[in-house]
Amino acid sequence: MGVVLRNLQKVVSLRRARLRKDIDTLRHILGVHKFDMGIICVDNRRIQQINNMYRKKNVPTDVLSFPFYEDLRPGKLPCPIHRDELNLGDIFLGVEFVMKQCQEDSLDLHGALTITMAHGICHLLGYRHETEEEWTEMLQREEYILSEYNRLTGSHLQPLMKRCTQDR
Amino acid sequence: MLKSVLRVVGGAVRVSSATASTARALPLSCPTLGAPSSATTRPFTRSLWMLNNNGTSSEYRPKLFSSKALNPSVSCGCGGLHTEGDKAFSNFLSDEIKEEKKIQKNKSLPKMSGGWELEMNGTEAKITRNVAGEKIIVTFNVNNSIPPNFEEEADQGQQKSAEEEPEIVSTPNFVVEVTKQATKHSLVFDCHFPEDEMSRGEGEEESDIFAIREVSFQPEGDSEWKETSYTLNTDSLDWALYDHLMDFLADRGVDNTFADELMELSTAVEHQEYIKFLEELQGFVKCN
Repeated sequence: MGVVLRNLQKVVSLRRARLRKDIDTLRHILGVHKFDMGIICVDNRRIQQINNMYRKKNVPTDVLSFPFYEDLRPGKLPCPIHRDELNLGDIFLGVEFVMKQCQEDSLDLHGALTITMAHGICHLLGYRHETEEEWTEMLQREEYILSEYNRLTGSHLQPLMKRCTQDR
Repeated sequence: MLKSVLRVVGGAVRVSSATASTARALPLSCPTLGAPSSATTRPFTRSLWMLNNNGTSSEYRPKLFSSKALNPSVSCGCGGLHTEGDKAFSNFLSDEIKEEKKIQKNKSLPKMSGGWELEMNGTEAKITRNVAGEKIIVTFNVNNSIPPNFEEEADQGQQKSAEEEPEIVSTPNFVVEVTKQATKHSLVFDCHFPEDEMSRGEGEEESDIFAIREVSFQPEGDSEWKETSYTLNTDSLDWALYDHLMDFLADRGVDNTFADELMELSTAVEHQEYIKFLEELQGFVKCN
């Protein structure tokens, strides 16, 4: 069990060990360290393809989550019976997209990737942001995760959704 | 945003059993899998190879040239046979060489970015770089560097027009040797391009562009592999350790960009050597 990390792009220079450490910290905060998960780092071209294929949005984005459990109630952890169901799903990280945002906003790349992964994991755990209620619920969860992360690591990360609020 | 993919995530060297999620059916199409490489590629024209099952072995071999093998029809005084078959073979090779040269993108080999120096010895390439007191040597051999399952794609490609034919990309295993000034041994990484990455347009699994297979210490400068050195196999390695090893290589200029350029270089070298071989073969057959 663990995190399968893949780096399929060459645009952004990533620190794999750092990325793994951050995702492991997030998994512990959420109590999902028993579950497998895939983190696949891709460039703009690739995430745009996926976005177009699955969401009919032909633009690059920062993160796309593909939950193993599709109908989870937000906040409820799955109760798998078999070992091979100890899986939350996959997160495609648009690392090129995130990097460009970081350049625009003068943010630290790995900090921004941690925020993006926290958002992605929330989606794997059933959180959505299609309605106002869902949005609030997910934002609260992200705030909790990142406040714990900040406490453990001395960082000052803010939820992704807070930054996106104006876009809605 | 959320559409479940429900697929097997793992599958690379280290992680196969631990991450398989098999409880659900896979969708017919999965996102994007199979990284298209930006390496220089070239359209497939090696009909000779394909007739002979990838050029390495074949149960069936056409016997076009055998009937007159004992009845030389031409003689140039060299003491060798000169059959009608040889003539046809030579003409065939002329066409093949012409075709291959037509699709050869550059006569000169592509340069590796990052201050790497290239040294060729036949089919073996050695690229070297010095970084702050460390010497990094990467070696690879273009022989047998084209993935065997390329053949399947080539078969499919026969249905398509010449422009759509699959392209040959050379993906050799490569060895990275890192030597520090003060030490007598080198840290050696045996690396490869995972096949599923290269061979599909789409698939069920994703692999890194390149992966480390084994790591060991070897005496500096020794060309022979010392089997008595402990060899760390990455199949069952702690993933965090594997990530640190990958970061270690990246710090020394061996990252995804490097791997992509190495593919491009290897593809060009392989093609160059192929043309050279055809020319030599033609010379041998023609006896000039």
